[in-house]
Amino acid sequence: MNDVIKRVNITINGKLRRFIISDDEGCVAPSETLLDTLRDKLGLTAAKRSCEHGACGCCTVIVDGEAVASCMLLTADCDGSSVTTLEGLCDPVTGELSPLQRAFADNSAFQCGYCTPGIIMSTRALLDKNPNPTEEELTEALSGNYCRCISHYQVIRTVMGFIHQINGEAV
Amino acid sequence: MKRFEHISASSYEEASRIVKEGRGTVDPIAGGTDLLGTYKDRLLETYPKAVVSLKGIPNARYIVSRGGEIAIGAGSTLKSVAEDQNVRAACPALAEAARSVASPIIRTTATIGGNICQDVRCWYYRYPDSIGGRLNCRRKGGDTCYAIAGENRYHSIFGGMSAGCASCQGNCPAGTDIPAYMARVREGDWDGAARIFMRYNPMPMMTSRICPHVCRDKCNQSVYGESVNIPAVERTLGDYILSHRDVYYAAPRHATGRRCAVIGAGPGGLAAAYYLRRAGHDVTVYDAHEKAGGVLRYGIPHYRLPKTIVDEYCDALENIMGIRFVMNTKVGEDITVEQIKAEHDAVYFGTGAWSQPVLGLDGENLTEFGLNFLVEVNTYLQKAIGEEVLVCGGGNVAMDVALTACRLGAKKVKLVCLEQRHEMPASEDEIQMAIEEGVEIYNGWGLGRVVTDENGRVNGLMAKRCLAVRDELGRFNPRYDEEDTMVVASDFIVLATGQRVDISFLGDKLGAQLRTARGLIDADIESGKTRQEGYYAGGDAVTGPNLAIRAIRAGRSAAASMNADLGSAQAEKESGEKFTRFDVEGIEVTVAHRLAEKPVEERSLTGEDRASLDEQTAIDEAKRCLHCACYAVAPSDITPVLVMTDAKIMTTERILTAEELFTTKLTVQQVLRPGELVKEITFTPPVGEMHYDKRRVRDAIDFAIVSLASCIDVRDGVIRSARLVFGGVAPVPYRLEKVEEFLVGKAVNAEVATQAGELALEGAFPMGKNEYKVFMAKDVIYQAIMRLAQK
Repeated sequence: MNDVIKRVNITINGKLRRFIISDDEGCVAPSETLLDTLRDKLGLTAAKRSCEHGACGCCTVIVDGEAVASCMLLTADCDGSSVTTLEGLCDPVTGELSPLQRAFADNSAFQCGYCTPGIIMSTRALLDKNPNPTEEELTEALSGNYCRCISHYQVIRTVMGFIHQINGEAV
Repeated sequence: MKRFEHISASSYEEASRIVKEGRGTVDPIAGGTDLLGTYKDRLLETYPKAVVSLKGIPNARYIVSRGGEIAIGAGSTLKSVAEDQNVRAACPALAEAARSVASPIIRTTATIGGNICQDVRCWYYRYPDSIGGRLNCRRKGGDTCYAIAGENRYHSIFGGMSAGCASCQGNCPAGTDIPAYMARVREGDWDGAARIFMRYNPMPMMTSRICPHVCRDKCNQSVYGESVNIPAVERTLGDYILSHRDVYYAAPRHATGRRCAVIGAGPGGLAAAYYLRRAGHDVTVYDAHEKAGGVLRYGIPHYRLPKTIVDEYCDALENIMGIRFVMNTKVGEDITVEQIKAEHDAVYFGTGAWSQPVLGLDGENLTEFGLNFLVEVNTYLQKAIGEEVLVCGGGNVAMDVALTACRLGAKKVKLVCLEQRHEMPASEDEIQMAIEEGVEIYNGWGLGRVVTDENGRVNGLMAKRCLAVRDELGRFNPRYDEEDTMVVASDFIVLATGQRVDISFLGDKLGAQLRTARGLIDADIESGKTRQEGYYAGGDAVTGPNLAIRAIRAGRSAAASMNADLGSAQAEKESGEKFTRFDVEGIEVTVAHRLAEKPVEERSLTGEDRASLDEQTAIDEAKRCLHCACYAVAPSDITPVLVMTDAKIMTTERILTAEELFTTKLTVQQVLRPGELVKEITFTPPVGEMHYDKRRVRDAIDFAIVSLASCIDVRDGVIRSARLVFGGVAPVPYRLEKVEEFLVGKAVNAEVATQAGELALEGAFPMGKNEYKVFMAKDVIYQAIMRLAQK
C-alpha cells in the first residue's frame, strides 16, 4: 500500500525480535499469524498447529501475561508485545525444564503429548496471576484446551499437586 | 490464510475512512478471533485486499462508571468485561455473558466490539471452502437456506428473517413479493395476501392465467421436487380479489386535481391507470378498440382467459375506481397526442406491438397475420379457415393460433418453427396442450416461400432446414441449409413470427423527438420517462414485443414516477412481517397441486380449459413455499444483554440503541453504514436481579442453543418489573415483552414460572428438528424465575 517499511518489535521468550511486515522473502507477511511466525520463522515448535480456529488450545502461548490462541492473532498486531512460549519456560542456559514442566513429565500428565504445551501455557498464565487457584478455577482456565486422549484427569491431579507442593502444603 | 495487507489505524475515524474508501475491499479487524476464522475457511465469495487493525487505537480499552452509567470501550477484551468489578456489581448479566463466550484463550483476545459484530455460526454458512466448496446460502446472497429442509437443530425457533429479495421475486419481471403473499395465503389471510400482491400487479386474475411465470424457474422447492405452483395460488387469489372488487378497486379517498391520460388499454396501460388513480388523479384511458383490455381481450383466446374476467376487471376500474375510458378512438387520427396533452398533466404511452412485420417471403400476402387472426376469432368467435392450417412460429402466440385453429374445426393443424423442441420460446404447458390436441410440430425449419397451385391458391409452404437459431454470441441470427428443403402441405398459412411496434400515432413532430433507431419509443426502462416532459412510456412500445407482466411492471413504475413528478408519491410500507415462517409439513410435499384440466374432447373455443384451485387447495400449495430467508440464529452472547439493558452504542457516526442495531435487520452490518465502526457501549444498569443463562452442549467454546438475559426486580416476593431477552433462538435477540408484562405484580412461584415459559414460547415455530429448543427455552425461563424464589 505504501513504501514505508513496517516493523514490529516483539519480545519473545525474553529476547527482543524485530520483524519486517512484508511479502518479501524472509519477512513476516501481513496475513501471518503469530503461530506461523513462532514455528516457521523462529523454529519455536512447541505451540502446535492444530484446529486453526482457536478452538483446541494446542497453539496457546502467553502474550502480555494472558494465555491466547496464537493461531487467531496476526503477528502484525503484536507490536510491543511480550510473548512466552513453552520453550521460554525452560532454563535459558541449561535448557532444564521448569518445575511445572517437570511436574507434567514426572506425573505422565499427558498421553500423546500434542496438546500438552498448550495446557502448560494456560496453566502457567493462570498461576502467574493466581498462584493458589481452586480446582474449579483451574478447570475453567483449561476449558479452552482440548485433549483427545483424555489426559485431563492426570493434568488436574498433577497441577493441583504441583500447587500444593509450591505452596508448601502436603499433597 | 490467503494474503492481505495490514494497516494499523491510530483512531476509529481513520479506520472508518480507510474501510469506507476501500469500498468493500477492506475489513476492520478487532480481536480477529471471528474474522480470521472466516478468512481461513474462505467462507465468503469476497476476500479483503486489506484489514485495518483497531488494536493500536489508543484508549479504546476502558470500562468506566460515569454517573449512573457504565461505559465500555469497544476494544475491551471479553476477559476484562467478565472480570471488571464495576460490571460484576452493576450488571452481573453482562459479566456472565462475557465469561460464557468461547474459552479463556479466546476471551483474552476477543473484544466486546467485535463480539457484537460477529458473523453467524450456522454450519451451512460456515461450511469451509476447502471441503468441496463453500455454500452460497441465502444469507450470502445465494438462493436457498439449506437449513429449511436440512439439519436445523441449532436454528431459529421463531422464524427466519429476510436476507434480501427472494429468488422467485428476483425472477418475476414485476418483482412481486411472492414469499410474502404466500405466507398470508398459508394463514388463510386472503385480504393480507391481496394487499401485498396489488402493490406489484393489479390484475392477478389475468396474469395468473396468461403469464409464463418465470418465477417458478427459480423456486427453490425445485431442488427437492416440483416448483411451487405459483400461478395456481395467484389465480385463486386473483379470483378472490375480483369477487371482492369493491374493496380492492375502491375509488381513491382524496382527489389531487391532477389529470393523467393513458394511451392504450392493454396490461401496461391498465396497470398505469390503476396506480395513477389510486394516487387520486383523474385518469382517462384512450384506446382504438371497442373494449378495454388490449391484448388481454383481443390477443389471448377465451379458453385461456375468459372475457368475462376482462369485463369484470375493466368494469371495476371504470365504475368502482372511476377511471374514464375513451374507446373506439384512434389516437393520431381521431385525436392528436398534443390535444390529449393539452388537457392532461401527464401522458403515458402503453400502445403495445400490434403491427405485422414484413418477412419478405414469396407469397407472404397470401398468408394471415397471427395476431389479426386471434383478434378476429376473439371478437367474432368464428372464422373461415382452410382444411389444413399451418402455423409458423414457436412462441405462445403461435400456440394460441394453433389451438384456436384446432378448436375452430380445422382437419389438420401443423406448426413449423426455427427452434428445436427444447428451444421453443412457448411455455411447456402450451406446447404439451398443442400436441395433445393433435398439432403436428416441425422443429428446426425456416420459412422459404409460399407454394401455390396453378390457380394461385395456397397449397403449402416450402421450408428450409434451420441449422442454428442463434450465433456464437447468443444473438438471434438463424443459419439455414438452403439445399435441405421440404414442402408442408397447407391451404391456410398463419404467420405468428412476431409483432412490430408502430408509433406513427405520435405524429411527425413528437415521433421525431421520441423515436429510437429501432422505431420504438425512447423511454427510460425504470422510470418510463421520455425526453419530453410530461410524456411517459412503457411496455412493448418501448421494449419491442415482450411479456404482459413486463408491461405491467413498466406501467406501475411509470405511474410511480408520474406520481412523484406530480407531487403525490406514495410511500409503500414494507411488506411482510419481521420473521418469516414456512409450513414444516407442507414443504415436504414434492408434488405440486395442479389445476384441473378439461379432457381434450371437452375443450372448446370459449370455455376455460382449466379450473382454479379452491381456496383450501391453494392454501395447501402455498404451504409448499419454503419462504426462503435466513433461519440462522444470532450468535452473540453480549447482544441479548445489551438489548435487555437498553444499551446505547456509539459509532463513528451516531448513537444507536441496542434494539435498533441488533434487532431490526438480519445483520448488524446491514444497519451500520459503510465504514461505520462501533466505538463505545453505554448503559444504565436496570434495577433487579440480573443474569445471563446459557444452555449449550459443552461448557466451553460452544455457542448458545438457548440463552436468556434477564433482569427481574422482586420486592417482598412480588415481581415489580422484568426485562427478558432470548439469545440463540431467533435471527436476532428476541425480547419477551408479553412475558415482561405478565410477570409484573405476580408472586414468584412455580405456577407463574410455568406460565411465563408457556407465554414466552407461544409464537414459537420449530423448524422440524429443533423442537427440543422450545422445551429448553421454557425451562430456561422457569429456572430463571424460580432462582428468585430461593432467595
